[in-house]
Amino acid sequence: MLEQLLIFTRGGLILWTCKELGNALKGSPIDTLIRSCLLEERSGLASFNYDAAGAGYTLKWTFHNELGLVFVAVYQRILHLLYVDDLLAMVKREFAEVYDPKRVEYSDFDETFRQLRKEAEARAEEMKKAKQVNNKPVNDGRKQGQGKKVGGFEGGNKNKSEANGDADDNGKNRKLENGHSNGNHHVVVEGSRGTVVTNGKENESSNTGAFDVSKLQKRRGKGTKKTDTVVSKGSKEDPKKKITKKNRVWDDSPAAPKLDFTDPVEENGNENVEVVAADQGESMMDKEEIVSSDSESEEDEEGKDAKPDTKKKGWFSSMFQSIAGKANLEKADLEPALKALKDRLMTKNVAEEIAEKLCESVAASLVGKKQASFTRIFSTVQAAMEEALVRILTPRRSIDILRDVHAAKEQRKPYVVVFVGVNGVGKSTNLAKVAYWLLQHNVSVMMAACDTFRSGAVEQLRTHARRLQIPIFEKGYEKDPAVVAKEAIQEATRNGTDVVLVDTAGRMQDNEPLMRALSKLIYLNNPDLVLFVGEALVGNDAVDQLSKFNQKLADLSTSPNPRLIDGILLTKFDTIDDKVGAALSMVYISGSPVMFVGCGQSYTDLKKLNVKSIVKTLLK
Amino acid sequence: MQMEGFEQWKEEARQWVQQGIEYALQIPPPQLYAAAAVLVLTTLLLLFIRLFKRSKSNTVVLTGLGGSGKTVLFYRLRDGPSHQGTVTSMGPNEGTFILHYESTKKGKIRPAHIVDVPGHSRLRTKLDDFLPQAACIVFVVDALEFLPNLSAVAEYLYDILTKASVVKKKVPLLICCNKTDKVTAHTMEFIRKQLEKEIEKLRASRSGMSEADIANDFTLGIPGEAFAFTHCINKVTIAEASGLTGEISQVEQFIREHVKP
Ligand SMILES: Nc1nc2c(ncn2[C@@H]2O[C@H](COP(=O)(O)OP(=O)(O)OP(=O)(O)O)[C@@H](O)[C@H]2O)c(=O)[nH]1
Ligand SMILES: [Mg+2]
Repeated sequence: MLEQLLIFTRGGLILWTCKELGNALKGSPIDTLIRSCLLEERSGLASFNYDAAGAGYTLKWTFHNELGLVFVAVYQRILHLLYVDDLLAMVKREFAEVYDPKRVEYSDFDETFRQLRKEAEARAEEMKKAKQVNNKPVNDGRKQGQGKKVGGFEGGNKNKSEANGDADDNGKNRKLENGHSNGNHHVVVEGSRGTVVTNGKENESSNTGAFDVSKLQKRRGKGTKKTDTVVSKGSKEDPKKKITKKNRVWDDSPAAPKLDFTDPVEENGNENVEVVAADQGESMMDKEEIVSSDSESEEDEEGKDAKPDTKKKGWFSSMFQSIAGKANLEKADLEPALKALKDRLMTKNVAEEIAEKLCESVAASLVGKKQASFTRIFSTVQAAMEEALVRILTPRRSIDILRDVHAAKEQRKPYVVVFVGVNGVGKSTNLAKVAYWLLQHNVSVMMAACDTFRSGAVEQLRTHARRLQIPIFEKGYEKDPAVVAKEAIQEATRNGTDVVLVDTAGRMQDNEPLMRALSKLIYLNNPDLVLFVGEALVGNDAVDQLSKFNQKLADLSTSPNPRLIDGILLTKFDTIDDKVGAALSMVYISGSPVMFVGCGQSYTDLKKLNVKSIVKTLLK
Repeated sequence: MQMEGFEQWKEEARQWVQQGIEYALQIPPPQLYAAAAVLVLTTLLLLFIRLFKRSKSNTVVLTGLGGSGKTVLFYRLRDGPSHQGTVTSMGPNEGTFILHYESTKKGKIRPAHIVDVPGHSRLRTKLDDFLPQAACIVFVVDALEFLPNLSAVAEYLYDILTKASVVKKKVPLLICCNKTDKVTAHTMEFIRKQLEKEIEKLRASRSGMSEADIANDFTLGIPGEAFAFTHCINKVTIAEASGLTGEISQVEQFIREHVKP
């Protein structure tokens, strides 16, 4: 049974709900869908699962982009309703006919809906029968593989063609097509959680917006196998080889020595030098953002970029279209522009599956929209993409650490930050930079050396501590890091230190014992901030690292509400030139904001992420 | 017949164009430049007139955290009691209309341009598109779920009160404590005090210690004094309302005060 079907505007006004169905939904599946899926650029998915308040709903949706309407159907997940996509498409078509922006009441739509529902149910029934008789695929054009490639889109595509009004005469045709695809799938996954063909895969993983690693893995596997040469080239490109090291230091503090003290020999380094060196002026966190001038000046390159895409259609027709304003955008019109954008994102080192998801979501927001006069499709798509990128990179919550530090101080508790990440990304170095920045704001800091795994780690941290003249809590290498952290926090509480920065051992995301230890450390100490330190150099691996870290923290935790990663510190940002994609990949995959960016070798080289300039660079 | 007429017309048009081009070629360049200059000047003049007109803006911006009741309020202002609920907004609601309660009044009333900006933090950047034209701002606060959201509310309010577009033009702001139809709603006095206290904290953490790393354009309040809304350069007032039941007279008054009929 369908639980509910809603029609509302993008502005959030409900225009119509099915009173007949009437049952109140448990929890707030619609708001959750909007907040954690549609507004997170995941609307390219085909369905969304909501499990809370004792409900197990699946939600499906479709947009009418031109009218700015959203149609959402909610049903119990255990029921595999086959007709939902079909019904949504029909409701969309019919409702668009009667919609008037000034009207807010559509009780006369009840009757239409009843009809549509009957039709859809009957068709589904018919399909089932047809399939039982003949469960071999009739039509080879729709290979499974192909379906998967387009992923969540399939639904949208179908809807589109129907919405164009020619649905009635090709109704049969459509039925067949649907019947085939649904049926085919149904046989395969009878009893599994999949719902409808093209999105069985998506379905299983879209739990309340959380990300499913396995799916991404699968996707990536597929992506690289594609015959699409440009795509695979982009993704395979080894970022490390192409890097040109470019140090952007904007203040004139003396070139600082390397911050790497891994070598214990340096231990007895001379005290004087160290103290001098530790005063390197204002941390870059506090400087006004300087958008590198090169990205500012190239705003109007669109025209040039657009050419390759419009060429195909012929200069005249595209010109005419741009003047007259094309009727409605179709998926096929967007395809070349999306492809170009996806490739561009990938050359900026954005993980492939993320570039693809983004493009799907952008397409979902554009299909069916009227194209404005005097614009090219490419610029329309680019503008939509830009908006999406800004939305993703804008933090969902406050990243004002100083305020949180003060709040903790008021409660007479130290503010605890745990730095986690894989090996060699610069955890300790950037921990020191954060410490330096905090010191400059008259916050007292203590370091806790909880990397009791790698030899030399404690000494390395000790050296930083001495240079910055801040206390360090260490217990050698034998102890359990979780316990060391606990004792450090107790010590900080005793002597009124404001912030405890906990250094942990670098670990690969697949190392189960070490991940378990980390999970324990976090569970035991309940830090205020779990900061993931990641290299800005990583490409596709960014997704793997972050999602596995989150996954493992969730799986291995003994608590019912496991703590996940709250923020990201991107290191080596100075070495990547314009390949800033890792920032996007990491934020998208984890939903956490980039709180710091490490961009050099001195203590001052710590910045905030400049969303605008990143977006500009990504689309350049 | 019609076809013929069209052909003829086309032919004529072509000739005109031809003549026009020939004529243009004959004109000496200085004259052309002069003509161009006149054109540019006129455009500029028109632009100025538009800018001048805009200074008497009628834009009212509804803002506040997600779920505070902006969309309900928006439609209440527009249509009165006639809708079936809302969901989280994915985009702004915008409309230029005569407020519903005035729709029966006689005489000429200037319509207000009201914008409801979604509260979801990913969509907040939209606020910057509307604030520069704002005649006044209604900041909606959920008086029911107030304490759990206190710090987020204060932070958002702080950000708005320190925006250059708000401070420079002294855009008046109304803190609208919404959902007061419920008995468990906090009073507006309580909300005001809590917000002042929380903003005081923000002032300490932001302006006192870190000047440049946060994008606020101005600092708030008087140095050395605990923050109160009366210290703001722009006028900040507070009111109670319930968008759901329609007790919104204070909001309507506020809007009318700043969008003169
Ligand atoms: N009791 C009560 N509930 C209200 C009132 N106003 C709004 N609500 C409820 O608050 C919820 C959110 O209202 P919206 O108007 O959608 O909130 P919003 O501020 O537009 O939220 P976003 O669109 O997410 O920014 C709805 O469930 C409303 O029914 C009110 O005056 N009293
Ligand atoms: Mg809203």
